[in-house]
Amino acid sequence: MERIPYEHLQETLYHEKLDNGLHVYLLPKPGFQKTYATFATEYGSIDNRFQVEGGPEHRVPDGIAHFLEHKMFEEPEGDVFATFAAQGASSNAYTSFDRTVYLFSATANIAENVTTLINFVQNPYFTDENVEKEKGIIGQEINMYRDNPDWRSYFGLIEALYHNHPVHIDIAGTIDSIAQITKETLYDCYHTFYHPTNMILFVVGGIEPEPLMELIRSNQAGKTFAPQGEIRRFFEQEPEQVKEKERLIRLPVSLPKCLVGFKEPPQELDGAALLRRELEMKLVLDMLFSQSSAIYQKLYDEGLISDNFGHEYNQIGNQAFSVVGGDTKDPERLMSRLREEVEAVQTSGFEPAAFERSRKKRVGAFLRTLNSPESMANEFTKYKFRGVDLFDILPVYESLTVNDVNRRIKDHFNWNRMAASIVRSDRP
Amino acid sequence: MKETSFERTEFHGIRVHVLPTDQFKTFALSVYIGAPLAESTVTNAALTPFVLRRGTEKLPETKQFREKLDELYGAGFGFDIYKRGDYQMVQFRMDIVNDQFVSSAGSLLQDGIAFLADAILNPALEQGAFRAKYVQSEKDTLRKRIESIVNDKIKYAAERCIEEMCRNEPYRLHPLGKIEHLEQITPQSLYDYYRQWLASAPIDLYVVGNTTLQEVLQLLERSLPQLRSANASYTSRPAPIRAAEVNTVIERFDVTQGKLNMGLRIPVTYGDDAYAAALMYNGILGGYPHSKLFTNVREKASLAYYASSRYDGHKGIMTIQSGIEIQNYEKAVDIIRRQLDDMSSGVYSDSELSQTKAMIVNHLRELQDSAFETISFDFNAILSGKERTVPELIAAVEAVTPEQIKAVAGGVQLDTIYFLTAAKGE
Repeated sequence: MERIPYEHLQETLYHEKLDNGLHVYLLPKPGFQKTYATFATEYGSIDNRFQVEGGPEHRVPDGIAHFLEHKMFEEPEGDVFATFAAQGASSNAYTSFDRTVYLFSATANIAENVTTLINFVQNPYFTDENVEKEKGIIGQEINMYRDNPDWRSYFGLIEALYHNHPVHIDIAGTIDSIAQITKETLYDCYHTFYHPTNMILFVVGGIEPEPLMELIRSNQAGKTFAPQGEIRRFFEQEPEQVKEKERLIRLPVSLPKCLVGFKEPPQELDGAALLRRELEMKLVLDMLFSQSSAIYQKLYDEGLISDNFGHEYNQIGNQAFSVVGGDTKDPERLMSRLREEVEAVQTSGFEPAAFERSRKKRVGAFLRTLNSPESMANEFTKYKFRGVDLFDILPVYESLTVNDVNRRIKDHFNWNRMAASIVRSDRP
Repeated sequence: MKETSFERTEFHGIRVHVLPTDQFKTFALSVYIGAPLAESTVTNAALTPFVLRRGTEKLPETKQFREKLDELYGAGFGFDIYKRGDYQMVQFRMDIVNDQFVSSAGSLLQDGIAFLADAILNPALEQGAFRAKYVQSEKDTLRKRIESIVNDKIKYAAERCIEEMCRNEPYRLHPLGKIEHLEQITPQSLYDYYRQWLASAPIDLYVVGNTTLQEVLQLLERSLPQLRSANASYTSRPAPIRAAEVNTVIERFDVTQGKLNMGLRIPVTYGDDAYAAALMYNGILGGYPHSKLFTNVREKASLAYYASSRYDGHKGIMTIQSGIEIQNYEKAVDIIRRQLDDMSSGVYSDSELSQTKAMIVNHLRELQDSAFETISFDFNAILSGKERTVPELIAAVEAVTPEQIKAVAGGVQLDTIYFLTAAKGE
C-alpha cells in the first residue's frame, strides 16, 4: 500500500493496485462519524459502441448503462437496499455521460458495508422478468424528466450542439430504446465494463486504512476474474460545427429559459492538459458571468437575467462545451447582449485584479470540497478516470496566468460554434 | 459517539452559539431570524433578504459587495426563506475558509463576521430608506421566483397539496409571499418593516469552526452595534388539527406524468416524547428505499420512479409524494392507502423495524459531519423549546417499541389527496 501525504492540506491518501487490476484509494478523515464509499466503473451513456480486444464489436441501445445501474440492486435473495439498511447504511447510485457510480454512506458496520458494496456490484443477477419490470420504473423516470423544463433545456442544448457524438443521447434513453434492452445485452455490457481493471474503489471517512485495505484485498483475492484485454470504444466523427443553431422546446413555464453553449473542436488531450483546460475555463466563466462580474450586474439591472443565471464547463471524451444562461424574459435580446459583452472582454482582456480574485475564490471552493466526504469521493474518481489527480488542482491554479485566460476567452467563444436552447410556453 | 456541545451566551440582544471544532477546513456561520407567519407580513419578510444582499453602507454597489466575498477566498454567502411550524424563517448562511490553509493577511473569521453583520444590520440606504433601485429590482426577482414555482411540477404539486390542506391556517402561505402584495411595497414601507423585524424577531447567530465563544464575542464587539436590550423567543406552537374528511383536489396541466401528493395530519411534534416514534412511523412507511411505499409502489407494482413520505415535525404534518402514469391514479391511491392501513394495524416485520432504526440512527450520526446540519439540528431546540441532543434522540429512537408506533399511527389522518394530471383526460 502506497501512502501519499498532502501536508499543506493535512490529508493523507492511501492507494493500492490489487492483483486483479482494481485501484483502491482510502482517505481517512479523523473526527468524521461518517464513511462514504464509491465503487465506480468508467462506463456511461456515451459508451454505446465498444469491443474488447479479440471479441466482437457491440452496439447497444441508448440508456443501457443507466438501466444496468438500476438492475444491479436486485440480487437473488432480494433488494440490496434492505441489506444496506439492516447495516445502517444509505446506498445509491448514479450514471453520468462517462461513469457509473455505486455508493453508500454509513456510521457503523463499515467492514460489512464495504463488503456488501463490492459483492453486489460484482454479482449481476438479471432475469427476463426483472428486466421487463424495470422498464415501467425507468419509463416513469424518463417521463419525470420530460416534464422538467431545466432538464429539457439542458439536454436540448446538447442535442443542438452535437450531430453524432453519443453525448447527445439522454442518459436514461427513451421509452423506445429501453424497450430493446434484454438480459443478454445487459450481461454483454456488464462483462465488458465491470471488470476490476476498469473500476475504482474509493473509501473516505472515519476509517483505519490498514485493516480496511486488507479486507478489500482478501475479498478480491477470493474471486476470479478472467483476464481482459483492452476495451476499445468507438465514437463517430463529430463535425466542428453545431448541429442546429437554435432548439425550441414548448413546455409550460413562467418565463422562457435560454441556454447557450459553445462547442470546442475535438481534441485528444492527456490528463494534465485536460485539467489545465478545465481550470482555465472555470476562471474565464467565473470572471465573465459570476455575481461579482460586470456582465452579471449589467444584465441583472437590465432585467434580462434572474438570479438563476449560471454557467458550467464539461469535458467528455474528446469533446468539450460550455453552458451559460437561465430564465429570461427575452432570449433573443439576452443572446445579443451576451455576445456584445463577451466580445468586449475578448478585445480588452481580463483585469489582473479580477483574475486574482477569481483564482482566490476557486481555491476557496476547492478547500470547501475537502470538508465533504461525498465531494471528495465523487470528484476524485471523476478526475482519476481522466488521468488527473484531484489534488493537482491547487498547484495548477497557482501556475495559471492572466495571459492563459485571455487566450482561452478568445479561443473558446466562437460564434460559429454556438447553439442555443430555448424553452417557452405556447402562449406568446 | 461524538458529543457536540455548543457554548452559548446572549450578546446585544441576540443569542450566540459557538461550536469549537477542528473537523472542518472552513468556518460555518448562520443567522436565524424568525417571524410569525402572517398574511400581512409574509411578503415583506420574504423580500427583505433579497434587498439586503444588494449592498451595505460600506459596499453599496452590488458588484463591490460580491467582490468582497471573492476576496475572502470565495466566501459563500446566501439565504433561505422557509416555514418552520407557524414561523417564517429567514436564514443567512456564510462559510469562510480557515486562515491556516491559505496565505491571508488578516483574520478571515473576523472579516466574515463583520461582513455578515453589515449585510444584515447596515444595508445601503438613501433618504432614510432602502435604495429604490434595489427594492424595485428585487421585487421583480421575487415576483419571478414566485411565478416560477409552477415550473417544477414535483415541487409545485407539493406546495399545492399543503396550500389546500392548510387553507384555514397560516401554514397555507408560501414562504416567498404573494405577488399581489408586492405592488404596494415601497422602499420606505419595506424599511419600516425591516426595522421592526430586527427589533422584535428572535435572532440566533451560530458559528462552527476552529474558534471559541470568547473569540467570537471579541469579534462581535468590533462589528455588532447595540441592537436591542433583549432577545425574543419562539413561543408559538402549531395546535393539532383533526381532519374532517378527505379532501380530493384534481388540477390539470400540460404534463406527461401525473403527480400524486397526499397530506396527512400527525398529532406529534418535535417537542413531544412521541417524536422518536413518529420518526419511526414515517421511516417504515416511506422514508427510505426499503420502506413500504418504495417497495410496494415502485418495486412490486412498477408504477413509479419515486414514492416516499416526509414528516414535518414542527408542523405535525406528513406528506406522501409519487410520480405516476395518469391512468394509474386509482391503483396508486389504493396501494398507498393499503400501506397506511398496514401501519395502523401494526403490520410490519422485525426487519422493517430494525432497518428503519438503523437508517434513522445513521442519519443522525452523519449530520454531525456537516457544520450546517449540526447547526440546524441544534436550532430545533431553540425553536421548539425542547432540548434534545443527537445522542439523546438516537437513544430514544433505539428504544421505540411497536406499541409506540401503533399509538402514533392511531392519530394519523389522511386529510388531502392532490393529483396533478394531464390537461385532457386520457
